[in-house]
Amino acid sequence: MLSAIIGVSTIIVFSAFSEAQLEQKSFVTHSGQVIQTSGDVLDPLYAASTVEFDPMDYLREFNYGRISQLPDGTTLREFTIIAEDDKIQEISPGVFYNVWTFNGTVPGPTIRAIEGDLVRIHFINNGSKSHTMHFHGIHPAVMDGVFETVGPDGGRFTYEFEAGPVGVHPYHCHVMPLEEHIVHGLYGVYIVDPKEGRPPADEMIMVLNGFDTDFDTENNFYAANTIPFYYQHHPIQIKTNELIRIYVVNMVEFDPINNFHLHGNLYNYYPTGTSIVPSTYTDMITLSQTERGIMEFQYKYPGKYLFHAHKVEFSEKGWVGIFLVDNPDQKSQTGIDYGN
Amino acid sequence: MEIKSYNVKTIASGIIPFGFLVIMILYLVGPSSNLLEFGVSLPEITIEKVEFVNSEIHVTVRNTGPIPVKIAMADVNDRIQPAAIEPDKSLERFETALVRIPFSWNKSEPYTIGITLDDGVRFDKFIEAATPAIKSDYQLAGFFAIIGTYVGVIPVMIGLLWLPFIKRIGKNKYNFFLALTVGLLIFLGIDAMLEGFEVSKENLSTNFNGGLLIITIALLSFLGLYYSAEKLTSRTGLTASSKPFAIGLMIAIGIGLHNLGEGLAIGAAIGLGQVALSTFLIVGFALHNTTEGIAIASPLAKTKSPVSKIILLGLIAGAPTILGTWIGGFFYSPYTAIVFLSIGAGAIFQVALVILKWIYQSEQKLVQTSIVSGIGAGMLIMYLTSILV
Repeated sequence: MLSAIIGVSTIIVFSAFSEAQLEQKSFVTHSGQVIQTSGDVLDPLYAASTVEFDPMDYLREFNYGRISQLPDGTTLREFTIIAEDDKIQEISPGVFYNVWTFNGTVPGPTIRAIEGDLVRIHFINNGSKSHTMHFHGIHPAVMDGVFETVGPDGGRFTYEFEAGPVGVHPYHCHVMPLEEHIVHGLYGVYIVDPKEGRPPADEMIMVLNGFDTDFDTENNFYAANTIPFYYQHHPIQIKTNELIRIYVVNMVEFDPINNFHLHGNLYNYYPTGTSIVPSTYTDMITLSQTERGIMEFQYKYPGKYLFHAHKVEFSEKGWVGIFLVDNPDQKSQTGIDYGN
Repeated sequence: MEIKSYNVKTIASGIIPFGFLVIMILYLVGPSSNLLEFGVSLPEITIEKVEFVNSEIHVTVRNTGPIPVKIAMADVNDRIQPAAIEPDKSLERFETALVRIPFSWNKSEPYTIGITLDDGVRFDKFIEAATPAIKSDYQLAGFFAIIGTYVGVIPVMIGLLWLPFIKRIGKNKYNFFLALTVGLLIFLGIDAMLEGFEVSKENLSTNFNGGLLIITIALLSFLGLYYSAEKLTSRTGLTASSKPFAIGLMIAIGIGLHNLGEGLAIGAAIGLGQVALSTFLIVGFALHNTTEGIAIASPLAKTKSPVSKIILLGLIAGAPTILGTWIGGFFYSPYTAIVFLSIGAGAIFQVALVILKWIYQSEQKLVQTSIVSGIGAGMLIMYLTSILV
């Protein structure tokens, strides 16, 4: 009887204890300390992100359009882009912001064509304000998306132009006040490939952007592809000796410059991607507004490598990520353990 | 029977307007009402306290806005940091929470602590110099007691040593010293209120109406003390010799409350690391507070009071400084600071008025060279010694 009481009470005490254990949450600091708390964790850095937009999908998603042949043999690529401006998105864990979107995401879809193709964009404005699509590149004045504003609630416009010049270009809304339309997220990437193509590579898009969530004309968050710190806790997996090609576009507003530093490596850089000859071999480029280019590199050694803005303020507000380089020939040696 | 119906009518006529008031409020804010749904309710939080503890920064935040908020993020110097919030990140109106930011801060460097809400709005507070938060231990309590003694007790006692001098001087000069006391007290009262306004401005949300809170408490304290002092003096049927002592006691209590506020400020300043307490600051406070001893001594001068009673008055006026440093250093909150400062201000104004009445009773007029110049000199002395602080 006594032992039964002791047993039962032990179970009660033990379960109460384990419940108390469960209530404790923990998180890791910059310097690797594990901190326990009885409350909530405020941690955009290391917590698994539950945000709606997945930067890992966006990273390698290229849209080639609905393809058909014109009578003269030209390839026609048709895209449908819908603008909206009423979406509230969790742009960092726990922080909600009214994003204005092309096809529902920031950045909008990456549009890709080959030099000389005919690009036709069926643009529908389902927003509450006027919007347009303004492409950087060569096209007739009426296709410039500046003076031909497209009205709200279903306004339509068809942009049509020959893809060119070769390179990586931004597109964005060009309705005044311009800054407002851009910083809310109405931008995306437009890639024109050379006819002969580029060497095969693991290709990625990185739009360097930021969000001014308190409207004080200073960014509160920075990122590669919208979500701060995303690629830091979800490293981008690549392989040793494989050519990596990054189409990088700087869409950060308010701050005059941004930059891109790669760890443990250097890259060939092709400004605007218009030349097939790299202009420089470096680990650091500086980008002004809508300045963009193509980076090419390969890793010799497996392991974890940071990439981030060397304007460290930006990296401490989210513009930082990790390449996890795996050696496919040495399966036993995982990248994570290497060099630690 | 008639009396009863009269009572019912009285009560009913008192309650009916309240009933209508309740109905109106229900109509305005009730669930089906959309009359007042214009404008936008903006969330607001106030960072009330920042403490630098062992490799962590502790931030006390309060929801001072009209709607519940969720805390999303913490930063140090505008750089995002992982942090914890206890008890949880959802704050109802006026609820507080503690944000723990693990951060190896550097002593005496300035820091700006930022807290971001779920709508992306950031609130921040600037700390001039990081100073280790005080742990409640006996050694420190002893240190505070010593500071309180130097700043409060000893200067007041030294001031009381002028008592024999004031005893010997003529009537006009004596009136001058009484008026000087009034000047000192008026200055101290204003000083306490200004200090309260400053604390309110720096640490309190405008929601709390800090300024009005200070004025209300000061007035209540003034009225309460004035009322109870009048009751006290009239009931005991004081003799000529005991009335000056009663006034001395009132001055001592008033100054004691003031010194409690002063101690609170010193303790909090050390606790929050806003100032490095220099020897100079202590000297300044000490000089400043010597004048408070004169204020107590003046009304006692024409009577024979035993030394023990005078020392008791000195302790009543000076010792609260020690208590103040303990409260301020170990349990600082802007609310207690404001409440103590305001009570002190009210008490001081009450004492000043009592002395003026006392002079008026013996002189039948207040516009005299000795009195006017005394008040002026008192305020000037206080101003000049306050520069040292």
